[in-house]
Amino acid sequence: MILLDALLQGILMGLLFALVALGLTIIFGMMDIVNFAHGEFLMIGMYTTYWTSLLHIDPLITLPASAIVGMLLGLASYYCLVKYLLRGPMIAQLFGTFGLMLFLRYLAQFLFGIDYRIIQKGLLVGKTLSLGPFRLDWTKLSAAILSLIAFLVVYYLLHRTKLGKALRATALNKEAANYMGIKTDRMNALAWVIGGGTVGIAGGLIVNFWYVYPTVGLLFVMIAFASVAMGGFGSIKGAFFAGILIGIIEMLFPMVGHFTGWDFFGPHFKFTVVYFAYFIIVVLRPQGLFGWKK
Amino acid sequence: MEKIRDAFDFGDFSKPEKVGFAIFTLLLLIFPWLGVGSFVKAVAIQFLLFSLFGMGWNTIGGYGGQVELGKAQYVGIGAYTVALTMVWWKIPFWAAMPIGILIAIGYSFIIGYPLFRLKGHYFAIATICTSLVLQDIFINWKLVGAAKGIELPIHEHPDFLYMQFKSDTYYFYFIMALFYTAIFYMNWFRKSKLGYQLRMIKEDEEAAESLGIDARWCKIKAYSIASAFVAVGGGFMAVYNLYIDPYSVMDLDLSIKIALMAMLGGAGSMWGPIIGSGFLVPLDRFLGSWLGAQKGLIGVDFMIYAALIMVVSAYQPQGIWGIIEQFRKK
Repeated sequence: MILLDALLQGILMGLLFALVALGLTIIFGMMDIVNFAHGEFLMIGMYTTYWTSLLHIDPLITLPASAIVGMLLGLASYYCLVKYLLRGPMIAQLFGTFGLMLFLRYLAQFLFGIDYRIIQKGLLVGKTLSLGPFRLDWTKLSAAILSLIAFLVVYYLLHRTKLGKALRATALNKEAANYMGIKTDRMNALAWVIGGGTVGIAGGLIVNFWYVYPTVGLLFVMIAFASVAMGGFGSIKGAFFAGILIGIIEMLFPMVGHFTGWDFFGPHFKFTVVYFAYFIIVVLRPQGLFGWKK
Repeated sequence: MEKIRDAFDFGDFSKPEKVGFAIFTLLLLIFPWLGVGSFVKAVAIQFLLFSLFGMGWNTIGGYGGQVELGKAQYVGIGAYTVALTMVWWKIPFWAAMPIGILIAIGYSFIIGYPLFRLKGHYFAIATICTSLVLQDIFINWKLVGAAKGIELPIHEHPDFLYMQFKSDTYYFYFIMALFYTAIFYMNWFRKSKLGYQLRMIKEDEEAAESLGIDARWCKIKAYSIASAFVAVGGGFMAVYNLYIDPYSVMDLDLSIKIALMAMLGGAGSMWGPIIGSGFLVPLDRFLGSWLGAQKGLIGVDFMIYAALIMVVSAYQPQGIWGIIEQFRKK
């Protein structure tokens, strides 16, 4: 029973990990850039919802605010930085986004201080849903449902609309897309807007049950890297399933310690095992579980 | 014999480089006697240490072109091996250091063998992951002090065998000796067979393989050389700080800093890592001590630092050495 409970919690958490990874995988699929600042986008989304919630607006209603802040952040990063990074070698791209990450992190520290903050009140905060023997936090449940919806919307946008076709064409072959009259520069910017927007939403959802502080991004960005790489860089389906898989691993691993009584399998290693799983999976299957682009 | 002559032969450098290098050496030699304060001396030691790290990273990251972001784990292995063997078995530093290097090299082969199946971004993130896993293990491993870290015993009298001195000047000359060993090694390395093979792999891996170069094996060898360099620096950190914990010697930030300094100076060039660390270390430390001490300005020093990183990556990815080279061609 406790196992099933952990499994359920893992899936809920995994849906959120998947939403964080979604923006990363879209950006990567479009222009082969790994965005180190992704976790910091999340952090800023979290702060946005936190500060608006202090104005006595419910955290669920302020989600659009987080999304818009995330989108603007994505847009600004593309036009001010990433556009220029694209000309350089891969290592310069990595360090460019790494610089952005440091900048945003210490900007947040400068503006908000290093205090740990969490939303104290809200429509769903602190309420649980009893489902037979299981007890689920409403905050996590609603976050998981909303992240599922966000996933479906993005999937629809990318695979069923003309705009999505243009985006994917740019991802596959930039020059050819350019000849077909697609404004590839705008498509890249759009990828950053979608990436920033989804991660902003994820931040708004996570802050309901997770403390926000300036360095919160690192843990999430590492998990997002792991899920993106597990699913295959650029694959949306892959990020979705890998995110859930990571959520389950992270919840089930401490269970092993619970049953065997062996101290090694404790919760303190739950994220370590995620990194390790990443390492094993990419070594055995370098293109990821659902990779479509090598 | 041939190899030794190669290491000391700087003949193919241009005249300004040779003169600059000679002046730089002279400056370093007399540096502790210029009447500088202890803070400046500590910054100078940091500069030499990070140059050493950067030169190590340069073998695999610069000449080999592999984006390696996990060097901190080898700093940690070097530092922990030296500290633990010195605490447990009371052996001198000079015996502990080779053990640290050997463990680092052994570990780098174990990790490197699966790691170099990967390329590009997968490789870069996998290196971060292996480093984070090792850090997590050390944070939770009670035998090695867990998150609290370990302290080295302090000797009453200065002791050369245990590398304990009263003044930073001695540490300065010690790290300078390591630094010059590294320079001579790198001077040989860039002209060695492995050095040429790595540059070929960087240019075009498939072409290199078609010429009969075993790309994966070359990369693993370069990776273990880089690891040995970094482990030496880690061992120095242990005896210099007399205290290490998983956060100070194994952090992701440290890995990134090592690679960043080499890239900022100019990856794949002889002087790049030295220029990069000569630029970033003082900037980092002086900004930190100047702005960090002022109330309400916490984090501003890092923001300036970060802005600089972004500007350099966007406009001058060849690094400072790249600017100098462009300037010279004109």
